Amino acid sequence: MARHAPLNNVEHKALRVVTQRAAAYGDDQMYALTVPAEFRNVQSCYPIVFQKRADTGQFQPLALFGFEAGENLFLTESGWDAHYIPMSVERLPFLIGGPGAPQDGKPGPPMIHIDLDSPRLSTTEGEALFLEYGGSTPFLERIGSLLGSLHEGIAATPAFIEALQGHELLESFVLDVEHGDGATSRLAGLYTVNEDRARALDGAAVSQLHAQGHLEPMYMVVASTVHFRDLIERRKRRG
Amino acid sequence: MSEQIRRVVIVGGGSAGWLAAGVIAADHQIPRVPGLEVTLVESPAVSPIGVGEGTWPSMRDTLRRIGVSETDFIRECDAAFKQGSRFGGWTDGGGEHYYHPFSLPQGYGEANLVTPWLREHGAVPFAELVSCQPQLCERGRAPKQVTTPEYAAVANYAYHLDAGRFGPFLQRHCTARLGVRHVLDHVTRIEACDNGDLAAVVTGAHGRIEGDLFIDCTGFSSLLLGQHYGVPLVTVQPQLFNDSALAVQVPYAAADAPIASHTIATACAAGWIWDIGLQSRRGVGHVYSSAHMTDEQAERILREYVAAGTDARTAAALAPRKLSFRPGYRASLWQRNCVAVGLAAGFVEPLEASALALVEFSATMISEQLPATRALMETVAARFNEAFRYRWERALEFLKLHYLLSRRSDSPYWIEHRAAATVPPRLAGLLELWRHQPPSRYDFHRIEEIFPAASYQYVLYGMGFRPESGARPESVQNAALAQRCFAEAAALGKSMLAALPANRALLNHLQSYRLQRI
Repeated sequence: MARHAPLNNVEHKALRVVTQRAAAYGDDQMYALTVPAEFRNVQSCYPIVFQKRADTGQFQPLALFGFEAGENLFLTESGWDAHYIPMSVERLPFLIGGPGAPQDGKPGPPMIHIDLDSPRLSTTEGEALFLEYGGSTPFLERIGSLLGSLHEGIAATPAFIEALQGHELLESFVLDVEHGDGATSRLAGLYTVNEDRARALDGAAVSQLHAQGHLEPMYMVVASTVHFRDLIERRKRRG
Repeated sequence: MSEQIRRVVIVGGGSAGWLAAGVIAADHQIPRVPGLEVTLVESPAVSPIGVGEGTWPSMRDTLRRIGVSETDFIRECDAAFKQGSRFGGWTDGGGEHYYHPFSLPQGYGEANLVTPWLREHGAVPFAELVSCQPQLCERGRAPKQVTTPEYAAVANYAYHLDAGRFGPFLQRHCTARLGVRHVLDHVTRIEACDNGDLAAVVTGAHGRIEGDLFIDCTGFSSLLLGQHYGVPLVTVQPQLFNDSALAVQVPYAAADAPIASHTIATACAAGWIWDIGLQSRRGVGHVYSSAHMTDEQAERILREYVAAGTDARTAAALAPRKLSFRPGYRASLWQRNCVAVGLAAGFVEPLEASALALVEFSATMISEQLPATRALMETVAARFNEAFRYRWERALEFLKLHYLLSRRSDSPYWIEHRAAATVPPRLAGLLELWRHQPPSRYDFHRIEEIFPAASYQYVLYGMGFRPESGARPESVQNAALAQRCFAEAAALGKSMLAALPANRALLNHLQSYRLQRI
């Protein structure tokens, strides 16, 4: 279970974070949350799909790593075999917590929290978080900026989803995969961009999507679907 | 009056008028495709009969067809989910109950489930063996998840809604999106052509409103069909005695009190009490026969019922609203260029909530069969009259079945309800037949039956009706198939109970989040 606490340079002074990628560190995930701002990078490695959150019913974009729960086909003996890892994975075991102490009567900036139950935590190996006199290490600085980008990306996602739905561009799909070894997988409950409708958008709609910054990420989703072939190949090689 | 049917004039708002307007305007794409005009004339002074109402699952199709969002509908009409009805005390007047769920029996139409049920599972209520929905109702579950798209179901469902808000909700959509012209004015006079067709309704401030087809949605007053044309009411009071109702609004005991996802219909000495859960309150009412009970007695029974479910103070504070009605339907529903929909066409007690369903069926048939010219109208009218006479007769028989199967003898009301003279002959014949075979599509063979044979099975076996023993033996295949269906129903129940949220939890969720359209 996760045990989240606000990060501070007193209690957590000696903590280090292991940045290796392995199942033992919880990287054996079938998918991870992504945000439109990183679609360009994500689509270079993974299919981007949409799924409804079980708690709210609202759509969220995901980078897909495998065909069933616990299967991450990018995870190898020597780490994560891709040149980009989505921010929602990269930032672990850190997260953005509630606002910090009020400043000038306004709520303070969001604070970095840490999951104290994460298997990545160590005192002997991995990246240090704090410098000798309490300052943040470059590693933690980078995490801070990553969390900021992710936070903004999550806040910007509903407008993107709404724009897609406004033009009826989302559609559900089911993917049945035969892996050759007799095993089959079914991906269901996922949604993607309907390419025919995207192509049929009229000038006004394209212009509007473009002005709102949604056109590029929409086509990134379309482009990302080529990686389904890559996923199938990876699964085949794994046997 | 022109030869082409271009101008549809709906007289009367309320659920019936706005549903008819919505279905016709949406089907004919009025704002985009020129040709048809729909005007709804509504008197500002006439308040619609706004009691809490139940619908059928057909309402989901109707609302989708009209083009409203289910999330908006649920938010704005105080609507809640309904998965069927729970009938209490109808058989013996004790604590017994049975369910009439909206889900068809598992394997319905493929297997005879009745014989294997009685042979091997006779101790389990029929509905609970062939459907998991009674269990979902008992456990207070919603019929869908937060991820289920609008209008889609995990378990088949309809709605409970606030009828007083439903009309205005549809009105906003019809006028803003569907191009329906709304005239808020009194109809002072009706103008007829020489041939007897209606030419126009004359209003106080908006003058003459001419039409080619008039839809009478004026409620019990039946202004056009009943008053102008003098089409008589076919009374069904000799078969169904109830002609009065007392309705109240009951607050929930707490903000997080469970909301029942079914209508609770409890039999009383000379009538029955409906209890339907909206989001913000319950709608409760006592419908009874004025020949068998005084208003004072009826009110006392209603207060006792409410007190038992809440507390004496809540019950004492209620101010019941009295409704009187003549149960029946118009001898002809489409006369010349005028057709009646809703209460103007007829009304019987709200047992099984058929009123809005009949409105939907009517609006759909008028819209789909809308005659292109006046010359075609006689053909369509004859068809409409035949179809709806059939539906009213079937509805009457189905409601009567609930009384006919009762064994209650605690009041003359129940005893008289079983008197042979009060039983429609077709129903009496079917009941004989059902002693030897279960209700089936051979008994109800139309494509759009108002109540399918499945509904008859639920009520018959729920009320303790049992076929003659020594019925014809069933095939080996059927026995195996039925067992598989029973197992499927049980498995479905297990997975649905694990996956479905509490009814109130989902309704609360919809205040903050929208259901997706896909």
